[in-house]
Amino acid sequence: MKKLLALVLALALLLTAMSFALAEELPTITIMFHGSNVTDDTAVLEAVNDYIADKVGAKLEVVWGTWGDFDDKATNALLSGDTGIDMVFTCSWSADEYNTYAKNGYFVKLDDLIAEYGADLVAAIPESLMQAATIEGAEGMGIYAVNGFKDTATQNTWDVNVTLLNELGYTLDDFKAMSFYDFGELFQKAKELKGDAFYPFLVEPMVLERMVTGSIIVAGDSGSTNLLSLYLNQDDVSAEGPEGNVILNKFATDEYRAFVDQMHEYYEAGYVDPSLAVAETSNDTRTNTQKTGEYLIGTQSYAFGYEYSADVLDRGIEVAFVPCTDPYVDTTASQGAMVAISTASEHPVESFKFLALLNSDPTLMTLLNYGVEGIHYNLNDDGLVEFTDERANYSPWTNGMGNVTILPDTAAEGAGFRESFKEYYAGAKAIPALGYVFDNADVANEMAALGTVAAQYALALDAGALDPETTLPDFLAALDAAGMQAYLDAANAQLAAYLG
Amino acid sequence: MKVRPMHRWSWKDFWLLTMVLPGAIWLLLIRYLPMLGVVIAFKDYKAQKPNTFWNNLIKSKWVGFKNFAFLKSPATVTMIRNTLLYNGVWIVLVLILAVTLAVMMSELKNRFAAKAYQTMMFFPYFLSWVVASYFVLAFLDPTSGMIPSIQKSLGLKPTQFYMTTTWWPLILTISNLWKNVGYSSVLYLAAITGIDTTLYEAAAVDGATKWQQVWHVTLPGIRPMIVILLIMSVGKIFNADFGLFYNVPQNSGPLYPVTQVIDTYVYNTYANTHNLGMSAAAGLLQSVVGCICIVITNGVVRKIDAESSLF
Amino acid sequence: MNKPQRNQVALNTFGPGAQALFHTVLGLFALMCIVPFLFVIIISFTSEDSIRQIGYSFMPLSWSTQAYGYVFRLGDALWRSYFNSFLITVIGTVLSVAICVLYSYPLYRKDFKYRGFFNFMSFFTMIFGGGLVPTFVVCKTLLGLSDNYAALIVPLLFSPFNVIVMRTFFQTTVPRELIEASTIDGAGEYRTLLQIVLPVVKPGIATIALLNALAFWNEWFLSLLYITKNMDVIPLQYLLMRMQRNADFLAKNSAMLGADAAQAARNLPSQSLKMALVVFIVVPIACAYPFFQRYVVAGLTVGSVKG
Repeated sequence: MKKLLALVLALALLLTAMSFALAEELPTITIMFHGSNVTDDTAVLEAVNDYIADKVGAKLEVVWGTWGDFDDKATNALLSGDTGIDMVFTCSWSADEYNTYAKNGYFVKLDDLIAEYGADLVAAIPESLMQAATIEGAEGMGIYAVNGFKDTATQNTWDVNVTLLNELGYTLDDFKAMSFYDFGELFQKAKELKGDAFYPFLVEPMVLERMVTGSIIVAGDSGSTNLLSLYLNQDDVSAEGPEGNVILNKFATDEYRAFVDQMHEYYEAGYVDPSLAVAETSNDTRTNTQKTGEYLIGTQSYAFGYEYSADVLDRGIEVAFVPCTDPYVDTTASQGAMVAISTASEHPVESFKFLALLNSDPTLMTLLNYGVEGIHYNLNDDGLVEFTDERANYSPWTNGMGNVTILPDTAAEGAGFRESFKEYYAGAKAIPALGYVFDNADVANEMAALGTVAAQYALALDAGALDPETTLPDFLAALDAAGMQAYLDAANAQLAAYLG
Repeated sequence: MKVRPMHRWSWKDFWLLTMVLPGAIWLLLIRYLPMLGVVIAFKDYKAQKPNTFWNNLIKSKWVGFKNFAFLKSPATVTMIRNTLLYNGVWIVLVLILAVTLAVMMSELKNRFAAKAYQTMMFFPYFLSWVVASYFVLAFLDPTSGMIPSIQKSLGLKPTQFYMTTTWWPLILTISNLWKNVGYSSVLYLAAITGIDTTLYEAAAVDGATKWQQVWHVTLPGIRPMIVILLIMSVGKIFNADFGLFYNVPQNSGPLYPVTQVIDTYVYNTYANTHNLGMSAAAGLLQSVVGCICIVITNGVVRKIDAESSLF
Repeated sequence: MNKPQRNQVALNTFGPGAQALFHTVLGLFALMCIVPFLFVIIISFTSEDSIRQIGYSFMPLSWSTQAYGYVFRLGDALWRSYFNSFLITVIGTVLSVAICVLYSYPLYRKDFKYRGFFNFMSFFTMIFGGGLVPTFVVCKTLLGLSDNYAALIVPLLFSPFNVIVMRTFFQTTVPRELIEASTIDGAGEYRTLLQIVLPVVKPGIATIALLNALAFWNEWFLSLLYITKNMDVIPLQYLLMRMQRNADFLAKNSAMLGADAAQAARNLPSQSLKMALVVFIVVPIACAYPFFQRYVVAGLTVGSVKG
């Protein structure tokens, strides 16, 4: 009897001890980021966990996805209902695509949480971004991810080698007065000056096509390699395009024909590097050549402050970015970087509190983004951030984390950078169809078939490598056979309904 | 009817059973348990409440064969033709070349040379297709590749290799043989080493020349290995080597008519969006076709030589 | 007098003409196999400028050891992953060869009652699989294969292909009388396998070991799936593949990422660095190859001595 009593007592003691231990232990929440380059996060996480213990009531762990790993890691975690991942990066272009995954029930609807814990968050993020995140998900209309405040507008620019332009006897203003169809004489002169192995026109063919014809990506169409197109009013981006608010088969327009005819001419004349026309070598070639400054005119989808980045400064030439339109806000760009909470998470409340704090609290955002002061960076006399060598071991992808506007200015960008950044993007106008997302569920098979057809022709045509005279009709016929009309009709019906 | 002798259970069976046990447990856990996931091919797989994998698997809607609708694309005929044709031709070519090389190596007088050849032939197996594709690029690159450079120096118009389909069946074939022949020939060589040498002695006593010995002793000796490897590659006839068809042609669109195969098609379309249902459907289709091919081949083999058949 | 002599010659080797032909064919093919690897070495020593100007070439404009400098500067991460690769390969190969031999031997024994069943059980998984995500769920949640070495070894421990190859080796090299004789002597099943059968199938085991070692050495996808936080256990191959995949991703999504992609691309390793890592990966396994080969060739020489 005594023995039994002792045992019971011992057990009771043990249980109390355990429950104390449990009460002491904060839950761990895990977030998966995209595009990071982090090899040592010990110091940062220690500081973060000290900071958020009271405010969030949880311990943070981070899975640092890199560019190449993220898609597999994130979709695996989500599709397998992994409780080990509470929060995950999502957006309009990653494999765990925001609209699809929200609709299929993988992301927690945040509206109630925002109402309860999100006052600071709502204050810190522009209304338009909240709107861009409001979609029809598994639980009805609502917000399924915290939308990061980053470069939320799209602006495509000509990337001009001013040094060479001047050498050829032109000024930047001369260039600005030219259109795509007038570049021939520039290219010819450049080729004469620099020799036969020099390719003056360094383009990203798909971006070039958008710049010349004014077509805009339709969100939800990435599976077809974006062959649906709305058209931008190139003079006033917030006004209706020349064709009205109608989605067109961009390859069937007269503008497209004129564009590829001209491009083929440039290609045949040797102005375009043939490697740019091949899917897997296209971008490698472009970035490598860009680094050396061995080009005359390039294309660049621009982000504010890009001209001050080391990427541009190290080219050894004077670079100017000449915009072809004002920056515009479309669905794709405004859903460019978000963080969602997985429905498999056991701690959605703590996770949300963390995300709200991250997007509204400069201390936490700076800590997680720039690292620990004194280790990863120091403040100089002007109060600007100067990174140390340790930064190489801790470089998350800034834009993928959340509200970048609450970060302090760095010495490289200069004082006042973040303010101008905010101004620039606040001033960007929205296209009329902002918020429209194409729901491809009913035409998924057409989308797949069209995607293959487009992949076969589009890049090579856009780069000028194929002769439009013979290949464009084949291309259009193949698109028709793959169900282009049904696909277009579905998209237009939805767009009309969306615009009301 | 043939009556098979009933095996009575014995301790021998027990001991043999303990031998297969580790492998069997592994198979059950890591191969058979996940096979429940095959139903995804017939479901509209979505997160349910609560969001756990098995719950999602059970509660997701049945959609019949909707996930197989990717086969309705006009590209289907091309990709299936490419997959079957390349695989079919390569199975035969790899077999012939690998056996030939293995026999040659086994007959070399100079052992050191044989060793060196064998080691070198294994090298392609170490290099991934990504790396191999750089090598191909060094020859074919439109601006700096060796062949276009030579053409230019001869005053010819350089061939746009990544835009014209003409050469690719040949390029892909060479690449595939380069990668796989050495590997297979090592398997055959090991099998040749295992042949009982008294058979050669007997043949020699009967006055057989060396060529006759190869024909009557070596080849029959490795026949089981040939047959097994053949059956297994036939079973994979619907699966294409992704890296070869994707990386080596640099995923160049205009080449699709001769480079698009089932695996690259699935990757280029749905797999990019990680549509589980579609990947599961494509995988299941490849399995079923592979299964049918194997059963047929195995049946044929069994008619000819029951000992060599797989099952 | 003459006849047996000719037989002797015919038994051992082909004549000099045939030998020369064999050497030519084998030599050419072997050369074809090795040249790409030499090419990789050349690229790894090529300067970035040269790659930018003339692409990959057998004759670069200028040489550089910069890539190797970078590799060594990876420092701890490099040596750690190197060590991991060795550890995983050694443990994995030993275990998987043991499991493979143990599984395939009873399949070779015609008198094993459940032969057909286990044969099919293994073979079936070669054609049918449950797919990536279900396997991931079982391995991670059920078996706890996450962020540890086991996660990089266990999923590869068994290969139905190797079982079939090994079974075929048993069939072609072990005479059934050998086993009958052994059992008549009263030896237990394990003793028969270890002492009588194994010495005979050494070439087969060496081949299987080689295939397994290669599989473990080249594996990187398991790391991608199962290693999320504990980067201390990742192998070298994954370090390389991660760089490759980063580059591929940025190339594919540059239109979406805009300036971000350009900036991220700046941090990517150069082509020569990637090739230097390939060299690091290939050299050890290429050096290990003759070790395996010794057994294969030992079998060969025994054969010719006997002949």
